[in-house]
Amino acid sequence: MVIVKRKTLSLAERLYLPEVVRGLSITFRKLFQPKITRQYPEDPLPTTSVTRGQPRLVVKDDGNIACVSCGLCEAACPAYAITIDGHETDRSIEREPEEFQIDMLRCILCGFCEEACPKDAIFMSNELELADTTRSALVYDLERLKRPAAALAERMDYIKRINKRWQTSSST
Amino acid sequence: MNDLLILLIKASVIYGGLLGTAALMTLAERKFSAWMQYRIGPNRVGPFGLLQPLADGVKFIFKEEVVPDGANPWLFRMAPMMAAVPAMLTVAVVPFAGGDIVLFGQNFGQLSITDLDIGVLFMLAIGGLGVYGVILGGWSSNSKYSLLGGLRASAQMISYELSLILVVLSIVAMSGTLDLRGIVAEQTGTWLLLPAWNVFQQPLAFVLFVIATFAETNRHPFDFAECEPELVGGFHTEYSSMKFALFFLGEYCAMVVMACLTTVLFLGGPEVPYWADAPWFLQLVAFMVKAGIFLFLFIWVRWTLPRFRFDQLMHLGWKVFLPLALANLFLTGLLVSF
Ligand code: SF4
Ligand code: SF4
Repeated sequence: MVIVKRKTLSLAERLYLPEVVRGLSITFRKLFQPKITRQYPEDPLPTTSVTRGQPRLVVKDDGNIACVSCGLCEAACPAYAITIDGHETDRSIEREPEEFQIDMLRCILCGFCEEACPKDAIFMSNELELADTTRSALVYDLERLKRPAAALAERMDYIKRINKRWQTSSST
Repeated sequence: MNDLLILLIKASVIYGGLLGTAALMTLAERKFSAWMQYRIGPNRVGPFGLLQPLADGVKFIFKEEVVPDGANPWLFRMAPMMAAVPAMLTVAVVPFAGGDIVLFGQNFGQLSITDLDIGVLFMLAIGGLGVYGVILGGWSSNSKYSLLGGLRASAQMISYELSLILVVLSIVAMSGTLDLRGIVAEQTGTWLLLPAWNVFQQPLAFVLFVIATFAETNRHPFDFAECEPELVGGFHTEYSSMKFALFFLGEYCAMVVMACLTTVLFLGGPEVPYWADAPWFLQLVAFMVKAGIFLFLFIWVRWTLPRFRFDQLMHLGWKVFLPLALANLFLTGLLVSF
């Protein structure tokens, strides 16, 4: 059995009014305190390397994408958001995607593709805004997914650092 | 200019003012609640969000109207009007400024739509009709939540209107008239160096009256007719679109009118303190400042106090307010007659 002890109220508390005035004075003081609202579209939250935004394909400094069209991200994607069509290329990597689509309406932004990729070719960017007026506009194709490596550098460093830590700790 | 035209002009100015104030109150409510919670509040529509009420109105008009199955079609449509119209009617007798208004060489008479000898009675009687809208709305929408909301509103109204009227009676006993201008006139001058306002002469009555107006207008902490956590939305659960907006408008108009009434009964109406024959526009400003204080109080209290329990409300109404109001009336009667 739980016995809840009730606080015995003093006369002033039972009269309500003094307590009401006390409450009112608190809310009145709060009126003038600095506001914590963020004016979102003009003043977005800062993003860091930990921000897991939307999947993007890395474009290396030589202008080619790093993806070799192996299909691992496609297989890892729990939402079946990725569709890859590969073809051969003369570059040393021999294969590259002809078409690479991510249906952003399906994508759950889990980052599994980022983890699955053996070639460090797909990373979660710091972009957070995802809105459009038609469904087809939200199926991103290769061109829309490309991001220069410099833009993703922070995230790439972070992921590599994390992965290294895993490797060293699991070797025991 | 003939009298009818003057009356029309005055009526449109005063009703425009009332509706404008009610609209601004919806914005003020949101602004102040935001500030008290460290937020900014609506600031996107127009400068400082000033056009927000307009945007809300447009939105309400374009919303779909839903009439629930089994609702009484006539009463369901009539209830919002019944809620909004009485609150607007009562403003007709409020004296916003003393003295004649002369503008462009034209004497407009006094700044109130009409002067009734029984102004107080008129305000209370017509204002009391507003609760019919709430009850009818609750009853006609064929929903248990609405019905309970309506029931609560009626029970609450009866318990608080009683003390409210007893309190007003003690003011009436002091001034010996039911005319609002008479009550204002009685409060001019000074009393113990203070302005001779009833708030100083009748402090208990003032406190009782202000609290009772909260119950009377269904405002927090006595808004049992809506009471979201228990009754979904209370009496207006089933209402949508402009009908819902009318209920809202009625509530805010009732607040404005009650603030005006409190000003007239307890703060000397339009009187500028220590300056009995100030020009009419200064008196109007004084009136607006005084009424504004009460309007702010309505918002302030709403965002400070939690809702009462219904039995606490009844307890307060019948076992505390009624005896206090009676005692106050009795004492006032003694003082007046000896
Ligand atoms: S983030 Fe997850 S859901 Fe989105 S594409 Fe990558 S693996 Fe699929
Ligand atoms: S896992 Fe990496 S390399 Fe393989 S298809 Fe996906 S993005 Fe390309």
